Amino acid sequence: MIRESYRQKDENELVKASINGDKLAFGEIVTRYQGMVARTVKGMLGDSVFAEDIGQEVFIKLFQSLSEFRGEAKLSTYIQKIAINLTLNEIKRRKRFFSMFAQSGNNEMHEYMIADRNTEERKEASEIVDKALRNMDPKFRIVLIMRMLQGYSTKETAEILDLPLGTVLSRLSRAQEQLKGILRKL
Amino acid sequence: MKATMIKELLIKSLDSDADPRDISRKLEDAGISYNFSSDFSDKVLSRISAAGSAKVRELEFVKGFNYAFYRIALTGVAAIVILLISIFLMQGSLSFDSFLGLSDSYDESIICLLTGN
Repeated sequence: MIRESYRQKDENELVKASINGDKLAFGEIVTRYQGMVARTVKGMLGDSVFAEDIGQEVFIKLFQSLSEFRGEAKLSTYIQKIAINLTLNEIKRRKRFFSMFAQSGNNEMHEYMIADRNTEERKEASEIVDKALRNMDPKFRIVLIMRMLQGYSTKETAEILDLPLGTVLSRLSRAQEQLKGILRKL
Repeated sequence: MKATMIKELLIKSLDSDADPRDISRKLEDAGISYNFSSDFSDKVLSRISAAGSAKVRELEFVKGFNYAFYRIALTGVAAIVILLISIFLMQGSLSFDSFLGLSDSYDESIICLLTGN
């Protein structure tokens, strides 16, 4: 009943209430944006329990930095930036970790070693998307996720990734080339 | 949706003039969705509460530490003042050497010990 009343509230009201320590208001923010964060984090890291941990970290980081949110950008953009930063940090951390054990070989494959367990159980469509994402370079993968899973325009993608529009356009074209090569093998 | 269509959609999503919203909707209809567990929101809130109480404990520790430091520092300053007064009363003057307990004349045995003569 109480949670129901928060569903009606405007985003700015929820942010203000969360800054004042209202956990239920923040819970509503989490509910509204968890799908968006899941697409970014699981798309980048694979569908694993670790991705869920990173998802939680995203919202904890958001809660800690809400007072710094001035409302100049959309809250979704702000959350998306946190999610991207944390997932890219996690990818770097995994690469460092696995490079300590593997002298040679494809680190990208190691990166998904744990996430790969349930691939067989997934539907064909999900399998294609997962394999395509998994084999892409992280800087192209994030562009693909922003477009394909989040449905962002080129301009929105540039804003979220803090990149010039020209760079995003060039990455789109290079990512498309890489994706074509990967999909040909599937 | 057939595999070939999925592949086409993926490639098309990277066209700069494509409609990414339409593509993401089509992919979602095809069953491509990513979600967290149903109790995700509760897990986040409980982690925030846990982090909050840890922060309170940390602040209380720092506060207690500061309090103890003040008490020790004040006692130390009082001891130094008493020591200075007692030196002044006993020797009639205050010098750094007398504060450190050094006398004006050197003990010959120490000089012998240090020089070996």
